[in-house]
Amino acid sequence: MVRYVFLRLWASFLTLAIVGTLVFSIIHLLPGDPVLVLLGEQGTSSPEVVAKIRKQLRLALPLGLQYYEWVRGIARLDFGVSLQNGIPVLQELRTRIPRSLELIAASLAIAVALGIPLGVLGARYSNGGLGWLSSLLAILSLSMPSFVTGVILVVTFSLEFRLFPSSGYVAPSEDLVGHLLYAILPSLTLGIGFVGVVIRMTRAGLLEVLGKGYVRTARAKGLPERSVLYHHALTNALIPVVTLIGVRAGNLLGGMVIVESLFNWPGLSSLLVRSCYDRDYPMMQGTLLAIFALFIFISLTIDLCHATLDPRLREG
Amino acid sequence: MRSWILCRHRLLLAGPLLLVFLLAAVFSGWLAPADPLKIHPRNILQSPSARHLLGTDQLGRDILSRLIYGSRISLSVAGAAVGIATLIGVALGLLAGYVGRWVEGLLMRFIDAFLCIPEIFVAIVIMAFFGSGFGMLVLTIGTLYFPQFARVVCSVAASVRRREFVEASTALGARGLRIVCREILPNIASVIIVQLTFTMSFAMLLEAGLSFLGLGIMPPTPSWGQMVGDLKDYVHINPLPVLFPSLTLLVAIFAINTIGDWLQDWLNPEIAG
Repeated sequence: MVRYVFLRLWASFLTLAIVGTLVFSIIHLLPGDPVLVLLGEQGTSSPEVVAKIRKQLRLALPLGLQYYEWVRGIARLDFGVSLQNGIPVLQELRTRIPRSLELIAASLAIAVALGIPLGVLGARYSNGGLGWLSSLLAILSLSMPSFVTGVILVVTFSLEFRLFPSSGYVAPSEDLVGHLLYAILPSLTLGIGFVGVVIRMTRAGLLEVLGKGYVRTARAKGLPERSVLYHHALTNALIPVVTLIGVRAGNLLGGMVIVESLFNWPGLSSLLVRSCYDRDYPMMQGTLLAIFALFIFISLTIDLCHATLDPRLREG
Repeated sequence: MRSWILCRHRLLLAGPLLLVFLLAAVFSGWLAPADPLKIHPRNILQSPSARHLLGTDQLGRDILSRLIYGSRISLSVAGAAVGIATLIGVALGLLAGYVGRWVEGLLMRFIDAFLCIPEIFVAIVIMAFFGSGFGMLVLTIGTLYFPQFARVVCSVAASVRRREFVEASTALGARGLRIVCREILPNIASVIIVQLTFTMSFAMLLEAGLSFLGLGIMPPTPSWGQMVGDLKDYVHINPLPVLFPSLTLLVAIFAINTIGDWLQDWLNPEIAG
């Protein structure tokens, strides 16, 4: 197990290094002089301003040295300073990462809590009405863009029934209940988009396992169907579900962009969109890196969970 | 008759829906009741009425007409992007699947690394910096989805390559391109068609998402995602207008996904779960 954890950590580190290099090169890949692009319409500004920004972006150094400086900065958790308002990128990331993580965790919990029971229903009554209903819900969830889900939820629960606020954010330290009320609709929107994947995987996994020899043996022993289903079949069927949740975590992060924009949730992806608009390079690089690191962290966690569930994986 | 309908209920449900969108896209000019760009400042955010069947938007433009013209944009962006993804993906996948060895290994590692990055982030950065617009949007979405295509084609092509009829053809003296085009390609066509359908729905979702964020199709040209993005700010004044483009997107993607599922079961019954 130690060997597996070590290998997996090393692979994550390598991925992060490759992604980090890509993020670093963005500023050099973009067409035109980044400083002039940054200054935009006010491009007539004095050479001193241009030189100052060039220095701030460390663009005057040779490329190799710039890369070295960048890596060294990251190693010391120094991502630079925002070009727009002078706030250190790290400080901004530190306040925003927990907000995005909160949404992801809540929506995963919602997706699993709804998806696994529906998937079990789908497999158990695969030829009946309930199975058909579970498949229909799955394909609806897969076809629904997250902003469509969000708009429908806002119109129903916020405008019609006035249960939750339609958009915004309150810090939990100020008002915990208010914070949770604001978080419910965005998490539900993200979670509903992910439920379809969980239903399909649970259903397919369970149907496959139900055809296996040991399930027949369990039935032949005279075990009640409930025990066969939940004790023998489901525990094994859920292993691939755990892995695929990790693989699809990218979808969740992608949906987060839309959800944060729709609900004005001040998380990581709204920071990315804003810094792209503002051409705030240090902020954009820092945010992209944080998002990819988050993604790699999620898949690492899921893989380690998987290895604890399935001993074969650790040895393989 | 009953079993015939049961077997094809998904096609019978989704086919006509898709046909409606295709017709709307092709005959937008004839079908649209009003000019989709004409602004009526006195007539904004109206609920559905006899004059405007689906109401009006924040500038008083007719929503039904904008939806009809929007189908042209949404379908053509997705279609062109899928075209690019298919061409590059099939060519690369066939090459890697046929040659095998290190070419396959290299391509698969590259694709694995690529697939672990959520597409929308790359798309946001590209669109924000290289400027948005039809051509850029198509190019970006097409490039983002060809790796998945190549991966699927490569794995199926590699398994077909080892089948007896390919060996027989090789024994008869057939070489490279002939084997790929005459033996492998026809045998993986069904997989390509299914992948094409699903990529179409991904591409539509991505286009809608980018346009929703204001990074895709630029106003005043209507696209469904952009209409939702614009109208969502006015839900407090009138929640009805935003629901129409939302539901249109939902129905269109639902129809494509349903047809994809049906094609999957019909063409490749051995893969179906």
